[in-house]
This record gives sequence, C-alpha cells and structure tokens, in this order.
Amino acid sequence: MRVLRVVPWILCLVPCALLSAHHSFPTEFDVSKPLTLKGTLVKWEMINPHSWFHVEVKGPEGRAVVWMVEGGSPNQLIRLGVTKNTVAPGTALVIDGYRARDGSNKIVGRNITLSDGKRLFMGGSAPGQPAQ
Amino acid sequence: MKRLVSAGLLVAAAAGAACAGAGGAAAGGGEAAYTVPRTPDGHPDLQGFWTNTTYTPLERPAGITKAFYSQAEAAEIEKKAAAVEGEQTEPGTAADVHYDFTQFQLDRSQGGVASNVRTAMIVDPPDGRLPPLTEEGTRRSAARAEARKRAGGQYDAIQNMALSVRCILMDRAGPPMLPGAYNNNYQIIQTRDHVMILVEMIHDARIIPLDGRPAVDSRVQQWMGSSRGRWEGDTLVVETTNFTPKTAFRGSTERMRLVERFTRTAEDTIEYRFTVEDASMWTRPWTAELPMKKTIGPLFEHACHEGNYGAANILAGVRADEKRAAAR
Repeated sequence: MRVLRVVPWILCLVPCALLSAHHSFPTEFDVSKPLTLKGTLVKWEMINPHSWFHVEVKGPEGRAVVWMVEGGSPNQLIRLGVTKNTVAPGTALVIDGYRARDGSNKIVGRNITLSDGKRLFMGGSAPGQPAQ
Repeated sequence: MKRLVSAGLLVAAAAGAACAGAGGAAAGGGEAAYTVPRTPDGHPDLQGFWTNTTYTPLERPAGITKAFYSQAEAAEIEKKAAAVEGEQTEPGTAADVHYDFTQFQLDRSQGGVASNVRTAMIVDPPDGRLPPLTEEGTRRSAARAEARKRAGGQYDAIQNMALSVRCILMDRAGPPMLPGAYNNNYQIIQTRDHVMILVEMIHDARIIPLDGRPAVDSRVQQWMGSSRGRWEGDTLVVETTNFTPKTAFRGSTERMRLVERFTRTAEDTIEYRFTVEDASMWTRPWTAELPMKKTIGPLFEHACHEGNYGAANILAGVRADEKRAAAR
C-alpha cells in the first residue's frame, strides 16, 4: 500500500528533473549520432552554465582534431575540492556521447572515462580529487 | 561520498520544523527551546549559507491526500527518489542525450537535500494544489499559448527560449525562490537597513531595503520585481511587487504581489514561506513553505551568460535541421 502511494510521486521525479535541466540537449545534439571519442585533454573550461572539455583526437590519417565536449556545471565539483588543474592537460579520456546536430566537432559528454576505466569524478577518480 | 548536509539528520530536523510551521506562519520559538542568534541590532541572525534543494514538489501529487508523510515514509521516498535520479538512461533515447548529473555530483542526493516531510510545498489551499484560474487567468493562459504558437518552436529563435536558457532569470532567484535540480545555494547578509540574498544561480543578488522606503513607481517593472522588507517579530517579511508579465511565475501577471517570510526555527533551518496574490490569475491567494538548510560556503560564480555556448549550439542545431528538411 505504501508503495502504491509513493508511485505517482516517483513518476513525477524524472520529468521534473528534466525540466530543471538548463536547456534542451536533444535540440543541440543528435540522438541518432552516438559517438565514442578517445583522446587527450587540451583544456577544461570550468564554466557555467555547463563546462566544456576540449579533447584532441587523432583521426584515421593521424591528423589531430580538437573536439568540444559538453559537461555539467562545475560548482558542485568545486565544493568538493576539484579545480581547473585537477584534470591535467594531456590526461587520456574516453568520451561516449552524441554529436552536435549541426555536424560540428562537438558532443555531449554522456559519459567521461579515464584510461583505467574509472568514470571521471566518480568515487574520487579524478587525479588529486579528495577522497569522497 | 562527502555530503554537504547530512540527509539522515535532516529528515528528523525537517520533520520537526515542518510540523511546527504547519499550523500557520512559524513565528519562531516552537516546541524545542531554540534560542535564535541575533545581530547587533537585535534581529534574528539569518546570515550564512543555505540550500533549499528538495524532492518535494510544489503541488501535491495525484493520489496523495495527506499533508505530511511520516518520517519513515519521507526517508523511503527520498531514498527511492535518489535511486531514480542515479539510474542510467537508456542509450539511444532523448533522455540519454545529456551529461550525467551524477558524474558532476549535481543530483540532489549528492548536492545535499533539505529534507521535508511535507507532501507538497503548497500549504494553502489545503489540498496542496494551485487554486483554480480566474476567467481572466484562463484567457491570459490561452493567449500566452497562442502567442507561443505564433512565435514558432520553443528553440526556433532566442526570443522563444525560456528565460533560464537565455541566462536571464532562473527559478532559484524567483522570487519566490524555488529550487531546481542543482546549485540551489543562497547566502544571506544582513545590515541594519538591508538584507542581501545572493543566489548562486545565476548569481543574482536580491538587495532588500528594510528602512521603510516606499515602493518604486508602479510603472517600473523588473525581472525580479521590487522588494521591501520589514521585521514582524522574529520573522523577516519581504513584499515584492513591480513584476514584469514576462516572468509569468506559474502564469502570474505583472500584478502579482508576493509576500515571503523567513523564520529561523533551528540552528540549521530557516523556514521559508511565501504567499502569492494575483487576482488576475488565481481565484484566491496561495501559500507554499519549504525549509532552507544550512550548507557550507562560499557560493561560487555562476556567470551563466558569458559561458552560454548552449544557446548558440541549440540555434545551430535547429538551423541545421531546417536546412536538411528543406533539402528533402
């Protein structure tokens, strides 16, 4: 019975959370264009409303291309001790995401992983991040 | 995981605070012998860093008939809600086209929830729902919907986008100040003549005179209205008028009159209660209440407009879609 009472409230949660998002990601990025990038961090724009990782990716002919990867607001990470130097330039990253609808070299960073397979910022995985 | 506020402690604290405020405006005191700290001027000291992050919805969900959950129910709901937020989205769905809130510690359970046993923020009307619209309110809502339709899609032009997407105004600032998913942090500073409420998102400072000066001319309309404050006993009362219809808080008009009440009910709690009056829109005033819980400072910059690449990217995406559609 208690569970039944809880259900409608829980159902409200996901749409409510989505409405709280800053803007429409599916309008910015194309759900039909999933992409995995492997490269090295050039810089992290630790800015609001969303942060941006610049990642150099070597193309099939060895030519380096810099991609911009959209991430979340950094403010909560700052509270936990993360700084713009926490993830050093040159750090190897694997990014799963969806490409920009306009075909430019931008993706939403659906998941960002370090070379050892740990998810960035999760469980204190960022180099120098205080244990959580 | 380091948490800014202890959820377990807060469930108990919020339960007490919410119940204390249930019978009306919580005018300080309460059952517990809490002695409110005071400024040199003798007023309650509200200064510090606060968060109003919550899982409690503004309106009571369908199927819920009571005003309060038990503490056990509230704890269970928060646990389930945190689990729902932490779930991974299905690849290839629109919901998956987003960074992961949990990766940036932006989900509410990691950000620090100001727990609440209320089933809804709205405490009046007693059913926890917004009151019915007036005839004029219904007409205004229909006119707004029609105007939006004429303007095109929500993301077709920058003017069509929500104020939050354009980094003009976010719900955290309001007023009234309502939490979103993350960064629901505030800093309050008091002087003898003013109260300042700094809102982390999007770095708005509400500067509220307490010196009895008159309201600004009614022809002046501002995004956040114009606020005047006063002390009623140990409660800070802030009245705000001079809104612009462009803010349209839940459909409100420029005639909205907002009365906010801040009462410190515990060392770690300010009870935040607000009443919305807008006879153009609703058949009666309505009141909501939610706790603000102590959190750690400082607030961090949220220079939204300067870094808002997203708005331009959205427009680029829409234009690219249009080009593709035209080529077909």
